[in-house]
Amino acid sequence: MLAAFPPGKLSEIVGPRSSGGSSLLLQLLACATHGGGHVALVDATDALDAASAIASGVALSRLLWVRCGGRLAPAVRAADLLVRCPGFAVVALDLGDVPITRDAASPSLGVRLQRAVEGTATILVLRVPHRLTGSAAAFVVSLHSVEARWAGTRATRLVGLVSEARVLRSRLGAASDASSIEWRL
Amino acid sequence: MTRIACVLAPAPPAAPVAVLRDLLEVALAHSPRVEEGAAAHVFLDASGLAGLFGSECALAGRLVDAARARGHDVRVAIAGSRVSALYACRMHDGVTVIEPGDDAAHLAPAPVALLDAAPELSARLDHWGIRTLGELAALPPTGLFERLGADGLRLQRCARGEDLRPLRPWAPPPIFEESMELDDAVDTIGQLVELMTPLAARIADRLVRSGLSADHFEWVCRLADRTRHEGSAVPAVPMNDSAAVALLLRASLEARPPKRAVEGVVVRARPVRVPAVQAQLMEMSRPSPRLVTAALARIAALVGAQQIGVPVMRDSHRPDAVELVAYSGAEPRAAARGVPTASLALCRFRPRVPVRVTLVAGRPVELRSRRLVGRIVNSAGPWRVSGEWWAARPWLSDEWDVELSDHVICRLAHDGSTWWLDGIYD
Repeated sequence: MLAAFPPGKLSEIVGPRSSGGSSLLLQLLACATHGGGHVALVDATDALDAASAIASGVALSRLLWVRCGGRLAPAVRAADLLVRCPGFAVVALDLGDVPITRDAASPSLGVRLQRAVEGTATILVLRVPHRLTGSAAAFVVSLHSVEARWAGTRATRLVGLVSEARVLRSRLGAASDASSIEWRL
Repeated sequence: MTRIACVLAPAPPAAPVAVLRDLLEVALAHSPRVEEGAAAHVFLDASGLAGLFGSECALAGRLVDAARARGHDVRVAIAGSRVSALYACRMHDGVTVIEPGDDAAHLAPAPVALLDAAPELSARLDHWGIRTLGELAALPPTGLFERLGADGLRLQRCARGEDLRPLRPWAPPPIFEESMELDDAVDTIGQLVELMTPLAARIADRLVRSGLSADHFEWVCRLADRTRHEGSAVPAVPMNDSAAVALLLRASLEARPPKRAVEGVVVRARPVRVPAVQAQLMEMSRPSPRLVTAALARIAALVGAQQIGVPVMRDSHRPDAVELVAYSGAEPRAAARGVPTASLALCRFRPRVPVRVTLVAGRPVELRSRRLVGRIVNSAGPWRVSGEWWAARPWLSDEWDVELSDHVICRLAHDGSTWWLDGIYD
């Protein structure tokens, strides 16, 4: 699935809290840094856990982290600026659960970001709870939680999460059947 | 084969420091190895510049044109040594190029007075009938040493066009500075930014002409109440782009605006030389430092410069012990390349959210907070983490992983008095 995120296009990872969306995003960043690329994470809610990023395999030295303090407009603007810098393998905009205003959710947001990334070799990914950019996104993957995995009969330790991923939209191929992903803690 | 060019301003300059600075900038724009001369002249290492500027005549012509663009009529000579080039400049107007190996022959007819020898030595040479550099060069060294000592041998080497020491490369001054005094004090950020922009442009221009970049900028405002207001800005990478410098200063100024009207402004830059780096064929492309710096300056104006950087884990077991360091875009040596793993990520709340937790038999069964409310269906814990018990402020926390009835999995922490919502697994 990670190879399906198209360079030069806008992609979305959609899913509610505890769906595995952030884990998928970190794995995408890890793949990019593992290949020697530099990545940027525009973090609208300052939610990145560096220990989780390391556990996912992200090389922190190649990660540019922009913390936006829960403000949506600067986050979008920052992603727009970064995606216009050639050389980043991935620019991720994690909106978390920041309140999305009507202006930000307008269809022009997706078009603006898509225009910015068009013609570059950068993968631009939005991590949002709900679909936000409409038809401007070339690749949309939706996740939802199936079950939490606990060790022991009385849940003595959290060991992971099973989530189901489904490609809702792909301009480069047909939407796929759901696939199951197990995230280990 | 060493080739040295000398650029000499023949007329005694009214402002020798300014002329020398201009000549240095002209030289640095053509060669990275430059030496500042004692009088109004500079030397530059002209070896290996043919690929950039063509023949030595073409290089000399470019040096003359560049100096003329700054209002200086100069003489330029290219030879095999500094002394040959300097003496050729003193002997001839315009451009002189001495072919390799012809230095001594070219200097031979020049008068001994060209050598700047001590009056006593000049008088003795004159008394012996030595009038030209060629005659001095032809004297037997042993006899010359017996009569004039080491000074005599040094003069003879100069007369032969031989340098006494190699070229001593010029090092940049510790600080580039531009300032402006205002007739009328300004009291708005917009006006101040407008004033700083040309200062930034002048500094960037000096950096570019010197082949340098700056890795630290600082500004000082002299306020109406005679106090000073200072700030600094550190770019992600050393830079010399005027637009990026102006943006960086603007972001720094907006983050730390002066409280009173400003009567004078000083902008300083710490120059560094940035070696050119050849990209590797098999290496993934990196963001352009110039573009990233400009973008980060703009983003810093939006979110604050301290909110941007590379996360670095501190040497501590304290949860979320992370700090940001400046992003350089450079590849660190032996950089860790983690293996991508399907690992469950925690999304942290910063700052942590206080929660009210209901306990039954010592286990949490319900939580209420402004971010999350729900009945707990599964919980695991407590996992005690603690540290720095030897310090004044030790930390201790009992962590719980809990699953709510709507399948949200989160991490709680209890520090002995308060329950906190650390984050949500996602």
